[in-house]
Amino acid sequence: MSIDRFYEIYDKFAIVILIILGVIAVACLIRAISGPKAYDRIVAVNMLGTLTMAMIIVLLVKLREGYLADICLIYALISFLAVIVLTKVYKGAYEARKKKREKEARDGNS
Amino acid sequence: MEILNLVRLIAGTLLIGIGVVVFIIETIGVFRYKYTLDRMHFSGMGDTLGLLSLTAGAVIINGINFTGFKLVLVLVFFWFTSPVSSHLISRLVTDTDERLKDNCEEKGEQ
Repeated sequence: MSIDRFYEIYDKFAIVILIILGVIAVACLIRAISGPKAYDRIVAVNMLGTLTMAMIIVLLVKLREGYLADICLIYALISFLAVIVLTKVYKGAYEARKKKREKEARDGNS
Repeated sequence: MEILNLVRLIAGTLLIGIGVVVFIIETIGVFRYKYTLDRMHFSGMGDTLGLLSLTAGAVIINGINFTGFKLVLVLVFFWFTSPVSSHLISRLVTDTDERLKDNCEEKGEQ
């Protein structure tokens, strides 16, 4: 098998794989919109970041461009940072709400 | 050389296909279960195994060069960050969910 034929077959395969990954990403987006609680949404966003990394890796081999590996690394960094910030923000909002509720209960008793 | 290309193509496409199947199973699991900690069991395991399989396939098809080394670096970085983000999300759930006990099975107590 010559190298041209090799890449011809892989290109067709990569398009099928990218379509399947796109369908999974849309399903993840539905999960992120319809998740009942905030942490369900965070799980879906985390999964979406991983799927984007998978798409970039498949595309890297299809386009034969080495610099896409750097973009994939940056995407992993940003996805990790997004999860950390979202959990911190949600926990802060929850504690503020809890404190407010306790204060209202104390005012109502006295 | 001809037969080596054929083996590379078959092994690489098989590994990428296994990775995409793992992602599909992960999405089905996330849609099937209702509680966040059950969902996270699927999303954490599926992310780790799916990205490993996909990166291994991409490295085999791409050949051993500097881009393949960078892809392995992306995988190692992802393996460090993904458990940390899973840990943060699960700690958020156990800290902020007020009806946590209702959703957990308690064995040994009747």
